[in-house]
Amino acid sequence: MATQKITIEPVTRIEGHAKVTIHMKEDGTVDHAYLHVNEFRGFEKFCEGRMVFEMPNITPRICGICPVSHHLAAAKAGDEVYGAPPPRPARLLRELMHMGQVIQSHGMHFFELAGPDLLLGFDADPAIRNVVGLIQANPDLALKAVNLRKYGQEIIHILGGRRIHPVFAVPGGVNKALMPEERDLILSGYHKALDTVKVGIQIMKGWAEANQEDINKFAVFPSGYLGMVKPGNTLELYDGDIRLIDSDGKQMELFDGRTYLDYIAEHVEDWSYLKFPYYKKMGFPQGVYRVGPLGRLNASDRMATPMADAELKTFKAINSGKPVENTLYYHYARLIEALYAVENVAVLLDDPDVLSTDLLNTRHDYKGEGVGVIEAPRGTLWHHYFANENGQLERVNLIVATGNNNWAMSKAVDSVAKTYINGQVIREGLLNRVEAAVRAYDPCLSCSTHAVGQMPIVIEMVDSQGSLTRTISRGAD
Amino acid sequence: MGVSGMKILLFGYGNIDRQDDGVAWHILRGVAEHYQVMLPTVPEETNCVLSPAITTTFALQLTPESAEWVAEFDEVIFIDAHTGSVADLLHVEELNANFQTSPFTHHLTPQSCLALAGSLYEKAPKARLISVRGYEFGFAQSLSEQTEELARQAARVIIASIDQAGD
Repeated sequence: MATQKITIEPVTRIEGHAKVTIHMKEDGTVDHAYLHVNEFRGFEKFCEGRMVFEMPNITPRICGICPVSHHLAAAKAGDEVYGAPPPRPARLLRELMHMGQVIQSHGMHFFELAGPDLLLGFDADPAIRNVVGLIQANPDLALKAVNLRKYGQEIIHILGGRRIHPVFAVPGGVNKALMPEERDLILSGYHKALDTVKVGIQIMKGWAEANQEDINKFAVFPSGYLGMVKPGNTLELYDGDIRLIDSDGKQMELFDGRTYLDYIAEHVEDWSYLKFPYYKKMGFPQGVYRVGPLGRLNASDRMATPMADAELKTFKAINSGKPVENTLYYHYARLIEALYAVENVAVLLDDPDVLSTDLLNTRHDYKGEGVGVIEAPRGTLWHHYFANENGQLERVNLIVATGNNNWAMSKAVDSVAKTYINGQVIREGLLNRVEAAVRAYDPCLSCSTHAVGQMPIVIEMVDSQGSLTRTISRGAD
Repeated sequence: MGVSGMKILLFGYGNIDRQDDGVAWHILRGVAEHYQVMLPTVPEETNCVLSPAITTTFALQLTPESAEWVAEFDEVIFIDAHTGSVADLLHVEELNANFQTSPFTHHLTPQSCLALAGSLYEKAPKARLISVRGYEFGFAQSLSEQTEELARQAARVIIASIDQAGD
């Protein structure tokens, strides 16, 4: 059967971050839809020749949205290269900075990116279906949301200094102690942050109750799930083993993240520059998995803080203890993690070691190779360094969180397109849903450059002969 | 505070590791030099006070909390790079608050930043964008020759603009 093709493409400075193409059949139904990612992998090459100890300062420049994740993953890889495990107080402070990152990132996503979809509706006019529309609809909530993100940023700034990029974690530890007044300052914002996250959870639950039909047909599909855990399968974001479960919730692997090459391989498709990681033993596509909040909560049995743990039980009940497959529940999972991160800030600050000045392990046992793994807000992030005897990098391998979800994002786009497109008329609300399918994963697609101007969506319909038959654009100048 | 009492923010953003994408930092350095302030080769601190009236900020990209900072000034000059999609080599544009959605990314435009400043903090600083054409976006900290020359021109335009505001 002849097909036509619809393309949804944000226009960017450098060849586009990603685009969606929807291949239509003649009868107006969807044949297949893809998310194509043009991600720049050149950063790994850029790092070659640099010193390992420089990496915590260089790699945050990959991304302006989650620089802390790269900063800490690089420091952890450096710990391994130099054979210098950090003292416990340094681990606590690194984890505290990481909680700040999770709070600000998850807070921004729920309230400022996903919130307009949920609170104003997928069918709302794009002119108002954005954070400004949300502010006008609920100014008090909007200010709380901004303050939640600021709270996370403040934690990062207190530890890393008010600098362009944090200069905090170094191989073997950290280079700054936490002062008692800084601890008290962070604690003074704790209750407000907690209240805002709780408000978010109530909003999410109310929305889910009112939109069950959409949730249950919107990109619901089985996959594996991968996330970091502590003993007892307790969710962990900074340091632990990697747990991989199948679509029924059965554990397939529990492994030291440093041995990821024994378990994870990457598949290449000719329609995307971003590789597709998968579980080696099952092959591709059988071994695909999801990471990030939904992946982590599905891969965990409990959480280490009481309020988040109680909320996890509610989350687990959605599918009677089996993995939750609904893409839109990424938003709920993200808020539960934000709740955990805020609670964990208080736990970390209550630890007597958090004010210690025993911050750096200067006794090295040089290995020359190291893997740093961390749960970035969007999912599991690997930094793998190979250095010569002088500590100069010869090879770098990065598996970024968004890459781990590459298959899932494309699958979600395909699923939503097939569910909602039927006929030649493409409604605005449909495009919103396609966007929302990608946005649920909160991808970070090569944020290391930006553009003057905006990123409009351009949809091109191409018939089976390759002729452009229709162009729909939104948000263009 | 300047003669006119205006508080002016020069807000540059970009990635200095991606050649011309980071031209805003080079432009800020040029402006700072005029005020006898030496900024480092690569950005370290986020903010720098050039005079009682003039503050510089540099960031990898605009973020929602940028709006709170922007709201504290009477005038904001955003400084960026652009590609061939903008006709002028040195582009100057008056900006109005206008939120623009970025479907798949965390990209925030200066117009969106102004919209957030207005909606959240009820502030509407006068704003303009000064951008110069970028040609090379590889992984390096050096500017292309053409953009380096445009950066010098942009710094002069900004200095003249500040002097005019102070008259």
